[in-house]
Amino acid sequence: MNKQDKKVLACVDQSHFADTVADYAAWAARRLDAPLEFLHVIDRHLEQGSGEDHSGAIGINAQEHLLSNLSDKDAAIARAKREQGRIFLNRLRERALAAGAPSADMRQRHGALDDTLAEQEDSVRLFVFGRRGASAETTQRDLGRNVERVVRAVHKPILTVTEGFKEPARVMLAFDGTAVTRKGVDMIANSPLFKGLPIHIVMAGNESADAPKQIAWAKDALTAAGFEVVADILPGDPEAVIAREIKARNIDMLLMGAYAHSPLRALVFGSKTTDLLRAATIPTLLLR
Amino acid sequence: MKSLRQDWFSNVRNDLLAGVVVALALIPEAIAFSIIAGVDPKVGLYASFCIATVIAFTGGRPGMVSAATGAMALLMVTLVKDHGLQYLLAATILTGVLQILAGFLRLGVLMRFVSRSVVTGFVNALAILIFIAQLPELTNVTWHVYAMTAAGLGIIYLFPYVTRAIPSPLVTIVVLTAVAIVLDLDIRNVGDMGQLPDSLPVFLIPDIPLNFETLAIIFPYSLTLMVVGLLESLMTATIVDDLTDTPSNKNRECVGQGVANIASGFVGGMAGCAMIGQSVINIKSGGRGRLSTLAAGVFLLLMVVFLGDWVAQIPMAALVAVMIMVAIGTFNWGSIRNMKEHPPSSTIVMLATVVVTVLTHDLAQGVLVGVLASGFFFAHKVGRILHIRSSSEEEGRTRRYTISGQVFFASADRFVASFDFKEVIEKVVIDVSRAHFWDITAVSALDKVVVKFRREGTEVDVVGLNEASATMVDKFGVHDKDGAEDLLMGH
Repeated sequence: MNKQDKKVLACVDQSHFADTVADYAAWAARRLDAPLEFLHVIDRHLEQGSGEDHSGAIGINAQEHLLSNLSDKDAAIARAKREQGRIFLNRLRERALAAGAPSADMRQRHGALDDTLAEQEDSVRLFVFGRRGASAETTQRDLGRNVERVVRAVHKPILTVTEGFKEPARVMLAFDGTAVTRKGVDMIANSPLFKGLPIHIVMAGNESADAPKQIAWAKDALTAAGFEVVADILPGDPEAVIAREIKARNIDMLLMGAYAHSPLRALVFGSKTTDLLRAATIPTLLLR
Repeated sequence: MKSLRQDWFSNVRNDLLAGVVVALALIPEAIAFSIIAGVDPKVGLYASFCIATVIAFTGGRPGMVSAATGAMALLMVTLVKDHGLQYLLAATILTGVLQILAGFLRLGVLMRFVSRSVVTGFVNALAILIFIAQLPELTNVTWHVYAMTAAGLGIIYLFPYVTRAIPSPLVTIVVLTAVAIVLDLDIRNVGDMGQLPDSLPVFLIPDIPLNFETLAIIFPYSLTLMVVGLLESLMTATIVDDLTDTPSNKNRECVGQGVANIASGFVGGMAGCAMIGQSVINIKSGGRGRLSTLAAGVFLLLMVVFLGDWVAQIPMAALVAVMIMVAIGTFNWGSIRNMKEHPPSSTIVMLATVVVTVLTHDLAQGVLVGVLASGFFFAHKVGRILHIRSSSEEEGRTRRYTISGQVFFASADRFVASFDFKEVIEKVVIDVSRAHFWDITAVSALDKVVVKFRREGTEVDVVGLNEASATMVDKFGVHDKDGAEDLLMGH
């Protein structure tokens, strides 16, 4: 598949965050001139039983009756969800087309979200994903429970958005000199996504010996690609620094590497990515 | 991590409730199957507890219920009668070892040779055997027993119309026990059948001489127990797969059954396997995860140990009613209707499996006969796919035979018979490039044809033998190579 044919995949669930996802996906599709597809994943929760019948009795052809009962029930639920999802996706598609996406398609799939995205990955250029979703109304967490699992499951850039769309005008790259953020620099340089936007490169944390050399490389690479670049090394705790600079410089979108370490390490030491996603309230492009 | 959570804790409330329902239904079955095998009820109850609990961790099919079963109990009868309980425990452990081996050797794939008709026959035979096993409790008894059994069946099938919240077999048992105690009926109860568990099971090593003679006694039993246990477990796993629309790991299930049986043997339990009826009850009650099976085992033991005195009072008539329900629920009634619609060969396979099993009381023999019969029928059918055309060429000097189709042991005779050896002709061309020669019989049939023609002084030319014999995988192994498909399908 040609790189140009690869699509922007907007992953939505039935919550009001979907509108924001649609807006950003339309923006990205327009800038990349890539086809846009909306994906709605219906998780069927096959591992859960219904359990209304505790009679313990099995009559004639118990197994056939049970099979047809269970499949009828599943079928009814699936039909209702499918129809509901179709109407919902159609509305988002209209919205994205109105916002200038070159083309917009839609698709519903059964399965778990992370597995589905991993399967779709090969034909995708950019994922767009809400940092919170349908369960946000009922829980207090500021990062949806699916985010880390999904981000770890795929290996393509993921734009995670919060609520409310604002056309990005200034972009910040949280640069730490690691391979993944260096790859991010190349990606920005070669992609039409940020063409013409000023880029702020921020390296936060304790200054190491080769930090100036690395940030200079990044600055040169982006300047050579025709970007207007501001590069700074700022001491302090990375989350705090980056969150502060975003506010101070009126940044609209953050780019950073994501989940380079194993889940086990994240469990013990916490994850920098998760912390940053909590701290930065603007749309964040995660590089894998 | 994700699958661990999904297998165990994604359906907690329903799993626990279903576990209780299953445990209640397991108690009468475990007692009944112990009686079939000729051992104390505690052997079956310990086995059911142990197998259900262990398989919850080791099994490959979450939500499937395994415990002491009728299919296995029927195989142990003579071993218990001739050699006693200790040899049964040893045979149980050996069965487990063999099942683990089968799991590691991935013998589960052999299940694909067991056709649909054989599975139906297996299930029907099992139901009939469970029913027949109840007959001793219903012969030479007073009318009280018949009345009690009939009342029991009435409660089992009608009570769900009142409420489905309480398992109707439990209601049956409680009501009939109360009636028997209040009216002080002189009928047999569970306490008369042997010892019930009075404590938690303890680890014990079977008291047998460890020598070759012992092995010679128990090995044949263990082998059939292994086969039947795995057959029923894998069949049940497929049923549960279909019911829940989720996949299972069949080889892990084989190993899991083995581990569970070894554990059962060491706590004084008999061998068991998956149960079709109980698994259906579990799924119906909302059980899906491993927790349901674990809960069933633990509740079973708690109830039996702490309510032992009451369990002893349960009249056998109540158990018989529950077991008749299990037999009716296990039997595939649709198969009787299907006899008219399905091809006669599949009906014959099904009936052969049933008849042999019921006569021998051995499901392994029934399945063996069923598998062989379906093999014969298949060979017979495929053997008919053989077409031979002939035409004369070169102004009557040559005759060309064009063979297409399958040539193997079942069609070799027909192959030979289709040549006209009496024809007076100079040359015969046999074009086999569109035929498949599957075995040595086919090749020697062709040799025979060639020799016969040569005796008549006819020159024989065989065309395309290389392509035709490419299907003899044993010799050339082309199936494993690229392009094998083209060779097989292309001509």
